Amino acid sequence: MRHRVWSGVVMAVTSLAVVSLLAQTQAPAQGQNNTKDKAKSGGGGGLYRNQAPAPNGPAPKLANGTPDLSGVWLGSGGNDSDISTPRSLKPGDKVIMLPWAEALMKTRLSKQDPEANCLPAGIPRGSPYPWRIVQTPTHYFILFEGNIHSYRQIFMNAKHPDDPDPTWYGHSVGKWEGNTLIVDTVGFNDKFWFDYKGHPHTEQLHTVERYTRTDMGHMAIEVTIDDPGTYMQPFTTIGRATLMPGAEILEYICQENNQDLQRLEGPVRGPGLQ
Amino acid sequence: MRTTIAAGITSGILLASGIQLLAHHSGAAEFDVNSHIELSGVVTKIEWTNPHAHFYIDVKDASGKVANWNLELASPNVLVRNGWSRHSLKEGDQVNVTGLRAKDNSNVGHANTITFPDGRQLSFGSGPGN
Repeated sequence: MRHRVWSGVVMAVTSLAVVSLLAQTQAPAQGQNNTKDKAKSGGGGGLYRNQAPAPNGPAPKLANGTPDLSGVWLGSGGNDSDISTPRSLKPGDKVIMLPWAEALMKTRLSKQDPEANCLPAGIPRGSPYPWRIVQTPTHYFILFEGNIHSYRQIFMNAKHPDDPDPTWYGHSVGKWEGNTLIVDTVGFNDKFWFDYKGHPHTEQLHTVERYTRTDMGHMAIEVTIDDPGTYMQPFTTIGRATLMPGAEILEYICQENNQDLQRLEGPVRGPGLQ
Repeated sequence: MRTTIAAGITSGILLASGIQLLAHHSGAAEFDVNSHIELSGVVTKIEWTNPHAHFYIDVKDASGKVANWNLELASPNVLVRNGWSRHSLKEGDQVNVTGLRAKDNSNVGHANTITFPDGRQLSFGSGPGN
């Protein structure tokens, strides 16, 4: 057995494909139609080598004129590493925590991250895994491959219950404003973290997501986060998703063999090796 | 046995991004960026599981003593979308593996590149050809 110097060249080649996912999942939504994410390694057009390029062309509509968001998408509405990263926030917005939240975040450990424990990532935290939107007249569904392998349901043109039980994904109602789907969610529990850094929230959290399919293969996602129990003022995160044409959601049961948890050490860290 | 420093800052940055995107947890909290490993051995077991696939290899040192190493890969879904299949690596395969060792100094590692005797390579997030 030998330990020795690593060749940077091999690592660099190996890592290029996954770096492209970073761009896809966490880049801000500005410049939705740029071609940056079309110039990927391998035969595909995205993170994954077997991923077909995202198509261009006009955003489709259903027969009744409603924008059609259905399909398998990759991306999220914010910066999963650090939700307060300025480039992933609406210009001028700032994430200013109340003192208790700032103190709590400093005590959080990597192994406590719900994501690492195979628990839901909440809103708007994303993952390297795609998700599918399914539209029906009364309900829209977001089916997550991971993490975790679960779903959200959005009740269209409905109202929130007066006193919803706190849940990981909350209670979501949807409506259309022009070509933008507005998803309003309340009734969250306080358990998920907004990012790897451990930004917290309370049950007062209220999110408003705005999904706009800017063309056939791309979707702009903005999420306004309002939690007066944790943050001095609301802020809006900016993200995007890319269509994965021909892709299917695969099974991902995170609890199956989660060996990592027992080996995670120390305070919260970024998802990489920083 | 000796542990040495990574060859290039660039490669480190890229690897960091790779783990960032293909793991459901902090890579830095589990693996030591300064503990690079290169292991040669025979595959004894494969776990095609979530949230990560793992494979195990028997590694023989100069004195003939055998140690079994547990090496982590991306999830099967990520691997499949990058050209792997569950048959890409088989029990009995002779492999050379580079990667990072777990911070707890156990015989656990994050496998970055797997090289077969004929030169074929598999990597953490990518299958043959990458």
